[in-house]
Amino acid sequence: MKSLFKGCFAAALLAAAVPDFAGAQTATVKLGQIEAQTGPNAIYGYMSSQGVPIAVDEVNKAGGFKVGDTTYKLELIALDTRGDPKEATIQLKKLLEQDKVRFVFGPFLSNVFVTIFPYAKQFNGKFLMLGGGTRIHDFVGQPGNEFVIRTWNWDAGPKGFGEKMVDYLIKTAHPKKVAMLFQNDQGGKVLGDIYAPIFKARGIETMTEYFEPGTKDFSPVLAKIAEFRPDYLFPGYSDAALYDIVRQSVEGNYSKKFFLVRGSTGPGLKNKDGIEDYIVYVPKDFEEAEKKEPKVKHFVDAYKAFYKRDFPYDQAPLCSSSCYDHVYMLIAAMQKAGTVDDVGKIRAALLSMTYQGMWKISFDDRSEQVFDFDIVHLKKGGTKEVVHVEP
Amino acid sequence: MKALWFLIPLYLLPLLIRSDVVLTVLIFTFVLGILAIGFNIVFGGAGQLTMFHAAAFGVGSYVTFLSMLHFSIPFWLGYLVAVLIVVLISIVIGWICFKFRLKEFYFAVVTLAFAELFRLVALNWTSMTNGTLGMLVLEKPTVWLPGSGVIKIEETVPWYFLTLISLTGILIFSALLMRSWIGRNFSAIRLNEDLAQTLGIDTFRYKLLAFTISNVIASFAGALYGFYTGYIEPAYLAVAQSLDAIAMVLLGGVSTILGPVVGALVLTSLPHLIELPAEMRVAVYGMILILVILLMPRGIVGLAAGLVKRRAHAS
Amino acid sequence: MTQVVVGQILNGIILGSLYGIIALGVTMTFGITGIVNFALGQFMMIGAYATWYFTDLAMFPFPVAVVFAVALAAVAGLIADQALFRFTRNNLVNGLLVSIGLISVMESGALLLFTTTPKNMDIVIAGSWSLGAITLPRMKVVAFLLLVAVIGLTWLGLSRAWLGRATRAYAQNPEAAMLMGVPTKVLQTGVVVYSCALAGFGGALYASLFSLEPSLGGLFILKGVEAAILAGVGNLLGALAGGVILGVTESVGSQPLPSAFRDAYGLVFLVAILLFRPAGLFGGQK
Repeated sequence: MKSLFKGCFAAALLAAAVPDFAGAQTATVKLGQIEAQTGPNAIYGYMSSQGVPIAVDEVNKAGGFKVGDTTYKLELIALDTRGDPKEATIQLKKLLEQDKVRFVFGPFLSNVFVTIFPYAKQFNGKFLMLGGGTRIHDFVGQPGNEFVIRTWNWDAGPKGFGEKMVDYLIKTAHPKKVAMLFQNDQGGKVLGDIYAPIFKARGIETMTEYFEPGTKDFSPVLAKIAEFRPDYLFPGYSDAALYDIVRQSVEGNYSKKFFLVRGSTGPGLKNKDGIEDYIVYVPKDFEEAEKKEPKVKHFVDAYKAFYKRDFPYDQAPLCSSSCYDHVYMLIAAMQKAGTVDDVGKIRAALLSMTYQGMWKISFDDRSEQVFDFDIVHLKKGGTKEVVHVEP
Repeated sequence: MKALWFLIPLYLLPLLIRSDVVLTVLIFTFVLGILAIGFNIVFGGAGQLTMFHAAAFGVGSYVTFLSMLHFSIPFWLGYLVAVLIVVLISIVIGWICFKFRLKEFYFAVVTLAFAELFRLVALNWTSMTNGTLGMLVLEKPTVWLPGSGVIKIEETVPWYFLTLISLTGILIFSALLMRSWIGRNFSAIRLNEDLAQTLGIDTFRYKLLAFTISNVIASFAGALYGFYTGYIEPAYLAVAQSLDAIAMVLLGGVSTILGPVVGALVLTSLPHLIELPAEMRVAVYGMILILVILLMPRGIVGLAAGLVKRRAHAS
Repeated sequence: MTQVVVGQILNGIILGSLYGIIALGVTMTFGITGIVNFALGQFMMIGAYATWYFTDLAMFPFPVAVVFAVALAAVAGLIADQALFRFTRNNLVNGLLVSIGLISVMESGALLLFTTTPKNMDIVIAGSWSLGAITLPRMKVVAFLLLVAVIGLTWLGLSRAWLGRATRAYAQNPEAAMLMGVPTKVLQTGVVVYSCALAGFGGALYASLFSLEPSLGGLFILKGVEAAILAGVGNLLGALAGGVILGVTESVGSQPLPSAFRDAYGLVFLVAILLFRPAGLFGGQK
């Protein structure tokens, strides 16, 4: 009798346990990522590839996220393109065909995007690509290209941050001449195309010079620019070149007033005794924000815990694109749409929402992102003023 | 010609494997294999280390596409224009180098300098080449097939066969060339140029010929590559591209017929077989190069051929 | 305008001394071991990163950091020589390819350790000297003087010291030198190590002037080789001159012509020289 009783009891327990087991079954949503984690242009893919795993880990550790009745976990397949379009093509094929991924973060590099675009377009309607590359602007929002969404704000246009930057420059400094010095590649040429008209429309005279990527000695081109006697030097676009440009410009007595829309506060701070003025667009000044905004502090702490190293303050701002926030935003979109498979519905949900993460992110009617940003204004000696702008 | 037997399984592959990834990797292998074969003709054949083949590769892409764009002609005619231009460039540069009797190292440096100059032109002649932004290639090569008429090569499988057939053709050409009296003159120059000269071989003419042929083949690879990836940029003419081809030839086996293809296969597929962080991949690539030079100077094919011979002798 | 040109000539001379020290390493290695060590740029990178590390992170005074950095580059050179270059003596093509392999390995090592994010050393000597409208950063001038001093000392050593004379003797006639008891193996290794140390020293000074990236080696070795060929490979003092000429051509050429083509000016000049004077500008002398 006792053994029968025990047997029933055990069976009952088992029966009670089984439904729980079935109920707790989690499905997975796969996320793909193709960014240049290494290679000469890695600066632009690095932070995205650093931020997404943190979010995925957090979500999974919290037990996943619920859409409808099912709890989902995230699986991240992050591939390093090294900035090579050929690699990226093969990697995207793998993600879409073998891994059957529906959401791809990246690319940030324009030349990678342009190469994978024809192939990606064949999958229009079957997946979403969230990338920050400048050139994506030319493709996004057009019929047949619904799959791509640009996760960075655009310089020009009514909500363009570039226009606001220039307005700020004029308001504080009233320059008459601005000299632009850009890298002779994708990003640099596009910057020239965007900003020359913006300045011209406001009656500011400009000149543009280009330098080869990898240049270290800017003395010749700075001397050439000095002949133009600009009020401000507008160099771009990544810290790699900016540190050298700012230092050499200051040391060589060429130009001591700087205006930047790409790059960080680093070069200005390093040369703080030599500069007279340094106005830079940063998606977010992390050092300040960490102290005031809890979400930012949370991210910084999570980063340090996850990677067990120091937080890269100078690269962090690039996490404004296809990074940490976007994982959560995508989840929110899936929850709003009530599905993890119907790409069209998720896309509609994504484009219609405003998400408050470290940034307040929304999308314009071209499927391009709009988010708030900071203008950091450094003066001689290193005094810092941060102006927050909400477009 | 025995080498060609190895290609047969490749023709049957698409029937067995549906994976687009594998076919894509092989397409890149075939195209880069063509580039490598081109390089091997002037280096493994005539013994001249050139750094110009990447420039020919890039010029092939650019000129073919631009001709198609501006003159509204089909792919193969566009490529013909590219051939004419590449031949012209090769003759001019080759004439300059060989007339001035530039030896070995200096020849490499001067061809490198010229290649860099071409790259800078591609980079800065924005009105023509769109400079650093590169050009999107939406046109496709068309091929006339009996029964189907004119078809566009767009999907993976047609590209696979187009590139495989092209590779086969180039392989046969290179095999025939190296066995002919022209090829033998190349080898004579490679082994001892002064002696060849004394024997009455016009070294100037043969070196020029080898250089030109090599560049024409490289330009063919470039045209295929550009149209397959759908994107042409100045980086195609960069030194790195030349070095890649050299590595493939060395790894596979200099002066062998199949070597360049084997090398292309290994180096193209390696990044996808070994899941390493990218920095490690470049390091592995470098180590392979070093190990090949020090331990396997005859490359994979050379090593294999040696083993086969030894087995034959032993039995 | 003339002030700009003069300023650029001075800038070119200073930059040229940096090219020159690499060129010196290239030329010495070629003369003694018969190969062009393309990986010298990587030893420069080692010197640069080591200096940055020791100065900014380990907080050593700059001169001490430089000494450590040069030592590190030299040791690395020794390892590379014993493991690799030893097997490629006088084989130009193999030596070239091995150096290329070495470049990949070393550059990825730097990428793994330091990532692509550029490193900027804290400024060692700030400020500039002005002469009229021409401004020269102090650190640049100091670097120039140090580089010229080292190059000069090397040249002196090679013409006065016994080991130096032995080296030159070997370069001119290997067999005779061997018969005279010159220890060739030691000499060859010694030259490789010394040229790597030179590159490391160049790197140390580079770090005090510019931002560091793992790819810096590639750029400078190209310039170094150009400069060495320009002067005439094998000509030691000419290496400095070659570097200076290259530096000046680049800087001054960028003024009237587009600066995007900057690298081309040196190349065009080089090709012209090679065609009309294949032995280099100062070739024929050792």
